[in-house]
Amino acid sequence: MPFPRSTVASNFVAGMSGTIERFTNENLAGKLLDIGIKPGSRLRIIRKGPFGGSWYVKIDRHCVALRKQELACIMIK
Amino acid sequence: MHNDQITLTPVVGLVGNPNSGKSSLFNLLTGLRQRIGNFPGVTVEKKSGMLHIDGVPEVELVDFPGAYSCYPTSLDERLVVQELTNPKGDQFPDAILYVADVTKLEKHLLLFTQLRDLDLPMILVLNMADLIEETGLQVDIPRLSKELDVPVIPVSAREGRGVAELKQAISNLLQNPLAFRHDEPFYEPGALARDVLADLRQELPARNDYHALLLTHHASWLKHIPEPLRHKVQNTRVKHGFHSLRAQVEETMERYHTFEPIVRDSIRHAGDKASKSDRADGILTHRIFGPIIFFALMLLLFQALFAWASWPQDGIDWIFSQLGGGVRDALGEGWLTDLLADGVIAGLGGVLVFVPQIAILFLFISILEEVGYMARAAYMFDGIMQRFGLNGRSVVALISGHACAIPAIMSTRTIANWKERLLTILVTPLTSCSARIPVYVILISFAVPQETVWGFGYQGLAFAGLYFLGILSAMASAWLFKLVLKTQERSFLMLELPDYRTPVWRNVGVTVWQKTKTFIVEAGKIILLISIVLWGLSTYGPAAKMEAAEANAARISQELGHDEDEAADVLASERLEASYAGHVGKFIEPVIRPLGYDWKIGIALFTSFAAREVFVGTMATIYSIGSADDELRIRDQMAKEINPRTGQPVYNPATAWSLLVFYVFAMMCMSTLAVTKRETGGWKWPIIQFTFMTVLAYVSAMVVYQVLA
Repeated sequence: MPFPRSTVASNFVAGMSGTIERFTNENLAGKLLDIGIKPGSRLRIIRKGPFGGSWYVKIDRHCVALRKQELACIMIK
Repeated sequence: MHNDQITLTPVVGLVGNPNSGKSSLFNLLTGLRQRIGNFPGVTVEKKSGMLHIDGVPEVELVDFPGAYSCYPTSLDERLVVQELTNPKGDQFPDAILYVADVTKLEKHLLLFTQLRDLDLPMILVLNMADLIEETGLQVDIPRLSKELDVPVIPVSAREGRGVAELKQAISNLLQNPLAFRHDEPFYEPGALARDVLADLRQELPARNDYHALLLTHHASWLKHIPEPLRHKVQNTRVKHGFHSLRAQVEETMERYHTFEPIVRDSIRHAGDKASKSDRADGILTHRIFGPIIFFALMLLLFQALFAWASWPQDGIDWIFSQLGGGVRDALGEGWLTDLLADGVIAGLGGVLVFVPQIAILFLFISILEEVGYMARAAYMFDGIMQRFGLNGRSVVALISGHACAIPAIMSTRTIANWKERLLTILVTPLTSCSARIPVYVILISFAVPQETVWGFGYQGLAFAGLYFLGILSAMASAWLFKLVLKTQERSFLMLELPDYRTPVWRNVGVTVWQKTKTFIVEAGKIILLISIVLWGLSTYGPAAKMEAAEANAARISQELGHDEDEAADVLASERLEASYAGHVGKFIEPVIRPLGYDWKIGIALFTSFAAREVFVGTMATIYSIGSADDELRIRDQMAKEINPRTGQPVYNPATAWSLLVFYVFAMMCMSTLAVTKRETGGWKWPIIQFTFMTVLAYVSAMVVYQVLA
């Protein structure tokens, strides 16, 4: 299921996927880039954490856990 | 001259991303010949080991903490940047083995290109080579080596493949480091940094432009930059409007653009099928099953702790009782015999009996870590942890705290947010560490009858209850501290969830061996010292008082017509009361009486503040002095103890419960306080931690005693 056109990744539902366009927050951008999350990567929301707050996300072939605020600064196209 | 010729002992640094299998490679290369120390001036644990390679002098291999880039967010990462930007430092490596996971090369090369631009002689080690065949990966090694301009060696730390080739490459590099310098950097500082660098390039102790750029970014916290230079950098940054974050993002993007094509050309993935790991996570991190499986695992862990440990424990118990008896037979009666048998052997035996449990605990925790489950636990509980002011990563510390608070507190370095990290450090010692096991075991037998209900032993349930009380109080305290402490700093999760892998048993073995050895050596030293001091304090006292006590004992025995054994017991207890230790106990008795303790327990409490496991040894020393039999079973001696005022046993359920609660909460570990001081950088937090835990212990123990008595 694709994301609606150009939106932030926190408008998500599990199962959605798309390509990262850019980051809207420089502070988080540096850290996201460091762990290999970069514009052009494919992002897919796998599932929500058991107690809320965190999301199981697949970036290209690798799994990471991200919080809602962290997803909120990722623009998807 | 550090980098231009071979120093006496060349230093080779192992650097790489977290989860690159760097530590596995380190364990493979050094085995048990590792030394664990600290990087000078900082608190980060430094693992190093000697490596023998034909043709070059012995090499010191240093395992640097895992780092993602030269723009650190955690303390661990800071250390890497600190040491690798300081060519004059002792830890500056002559060569770097850069370890990258071959399946994640497209992200692991970021730090690689940064370090190569610092002009460090490097070898690229492609770890997890076993996965190349397994997953149908195709890697063009010669091409990779040519494009990156470094030797590339595939190894499998898991299967021990590629070591000989790696050693050969290290030897080549150390013999001729100049041949490994690079002509062309991956990245030239861009427009955002040009002006600031033009002003600072000559001022900074930098080897090249990129080195100067990193110093400009990080001058405010790098230890080798002197204060005046720091100011100068700051002023120049302001003057040119240098935006550190923006420059970092620009640099990182450009680096990805440079090396992504190289990776794409030399590595081919075999299709994108859902892996076993994904399917496992479908259940293990499921919204409902995930937490259930987690709690089931924990239950299994503590069940195993007691079921598996009992057999080796009986063996150790037997050895020490034989040893005590042997010493008595060999040396005959005398003060040295008493010191050795009653003090040292009884004290050591009391604690070493718990080595099997401690080893099993570390075994479980290191397996969970190796498999990759700890990261999942952090992911699942992040939501809850945030509500208590903690981070998902705090779960790792709170679980390992059940083995030992010291490594647990050190594991918090991966938490970037200071408040979350501080809260985790403050509350971790409330989880029941393995040193509490000896105390719990002895006291529970007085607190709870040895009966079962629906197949569960009461004593086992009480044990589980104490662990639960520990974790509950840790969470509650975190919540309280969260209300008090304020911070503006942002908090992050951003946690990698590496694929599940069967553990590398070598790593598990090395961890269990090292941690257990440390426990034995550290606990052994303290117990030895305290046993000897305590034995002296409880055998000697002010001369006049001791004589009076002896006369008093003789009078009592005569009046009551005691036989020889009874008279000896009365004499011993009168002497203990008049001794220096007795004075200490009597001095604190008024304070602890509301908790249900007498002055003998007071002595044990007093010595426990050095390390709580000393409680058992102290009990052994106090209750076996003067006793005619060789009985080492401390429990039996405690059971015989009668309160002279009430004529009832001293260790009734009320006192035992009160003591148990006291030991759950009290901060009785000098080493933990020392680690808290190191990790928080001052005395403020260890003092607060000590005070709140001790007050909590005192008040709760008093409530428990007053309610039960």
